Amino acid sequence: MLNATPLYEKHEPEGSVSCLCKDDAELLVSNIAKTYKGSDKPILNGASFAVAHGEAVALMGANGAGKSTLMRCCMGLVPFDQGTVSVLKQSINDLSPKALRQLRAKCGFVFQKHNLVPRLSALSNVIHGCQSREQGMRTWHQAIAKNAIRQQAMHYLDMVGLADYALRRVDQLSGGQSQRVAIARTLMQKPILVFADEPVASLDPNAGEDVMALFVSLIKEHNLTLLFSSHHISHALTYSDRVIGLHSGQVVLDQAVHRLNEDKLRGLYEQ
Amino acid sequence: MSNNINGATKLPPRLRGPRAIEFIAYVLAIAFFIVSLSGTEWSMIAFVEGIPNLMTFLSEAFPPSLTRLQQTGSALLETFQMALVGTVMGVLISLPLAIFAAKNLAPHWSVYQLSRGLIALARTVPDLIWALIFVIMVGLGPFAGTLAIMVDTLGFCARFFAESMEEADPGPQEALTAMGASPTSKIFCAVIPDAMPSFINVSLFALEKATRSSVILGLVGAGGIGIELKVSMDMFEYSQAATIILSIFILVIIVEQLSGGLRRKIL
Repeated sequence: MLNATPLYEKHEPEGSVSCLCKDDAELLVSNIAKTYKGSDKPILNGASFAVAHGEAVALMGANGAGKSTLMRCCMGLVPFDQGTVSVLKQSINDLSPKALRQLRAKCGFVFQKHNLVPRLSALSNVIHGCQSREQGMRTWHQAIAKNAIRQQAMHYLDMVGLADYALRRVDQLSGGQSQRVAIARTLMQKPILVFADEPVASLDPNAGEDVMALFVSLIKEHNLTLLFSSHHISHALTYSDRVIGLHSGQVVLDQAVHRLNEDKLRGLYEQ
Repeated sequence: MSNNINGATKLPPRLRGPRAIEFIAYVLAIAFFIVSLSGTEWSMIAFVEGIPNLMTFLSEAFPPSLTRLQQTGSALLETFQMALVGTVMGVLISLPLAIFAAKNLAPHWSVYQLSRGLIALARTVPDLIWALIFVIMVGLGPFAGTLAIMVDTLGFCARFFAESMEEADPGPQEALTAMGASPTSKIFCAVIPDAMPSFINVSLFALEKATRSSVILGLVGAGGIGIELKVSMDMFEYSQAATIILSIFILVIIVEQLSGGLRRKIL
């Protein structure tokens, strides 16, 4: 069992646990626990970590380790049973629905299967990103959006190399192109903190590599904080500053990437 | 438990025999069907003996009379107008009602129950009864028929609209929630676009259904070509009736073809 004999040393000074009291933590997760209804095994079991501004942190662990649930708990998309989550210095435990919406507006979320609206154009989907700061029906569709918003959306589509596909329906795009649109939508949101739940898991290796490189470069360019989950060891080693390893809902690894190697990360999947 | 007997895998039975209670239910259902045949005075003899009457009708009906072609044409146009206006109005009212009647979108369970109740009322009462009620309310004529079609469409469309919105892909909705979108935005940005093919499909079926219904509504004085047909039949003007029946047939075919074409083009 990992709990009994941890395979990995928890890296305290540069890692997360010591960061819990730091003022610069943009995401602070403390002792979070969650058990889904109908299951007797907790999916999260006392996980704690912190992410500081500008960091790119990879969240790794086998299927069922709790990565997706943890990210959704951080955004208040899934309620948790115990613990505290502080996002951008606001505890989400006691936020009103309106305050939670305002907080979410400052956080981007890139999903594994992009979660775009398939029947709408790439441009309309990117425009949806500005709902974080603009209210009203003029953010629902590109045909009725304000010029300034359309221009911003086109700028982000251009950044991900899809300006020529602006009016193409998303369900007519490839998986890689769709994920680029999702990244443009996230940037349109102008977030401070970005969560990405296995953003390239549904793409082929080449497309996945391209999209990941583009995604992380844009995150760095905009000086955003990133927490991404992945099963790609190479992605964790290449694109993150720090890796958090989850096993059975607990943090079993929290180390700066320069102290890690492929074999050590592979150990996370050998349980 | 292993299914393996002497090295060969035991095959499962092709059919499962009914349990005693199922067997009794089948027997009762068949018995009720036989009783119903008697209750409906089902008789092949009467059917065969009636064939000469049908021949008499057909011989008198053909060739169809063209003497009242203009009146038939304008009644037919009125019939289609009733169907069109009733369907469009019904669809427009169905949309907000369906949002309240969708489990995942209703703001409160009481709103959900009330909406579902209204839809059930509109759906379960037949259109002919609605037509009778609206004739009492607004008097004889096409307006009563249009209102009846509107309510009938509402019951039909709102139910299917609500179900298609409940089945909408939760992924885009979750994405919008994650970016802080309001519940209204989620409905208009994610749910409605996802359910749109179903909305269009159901609305076109509603138009086809309304076209057929609007013919019948005239029988109770709610406008349209039905009253022309009833008068012709009552007066034994079978050649006139044949013209009306053929024109109804052509109208229904045209509407079905048009809606089929639109469905293929839009979806």
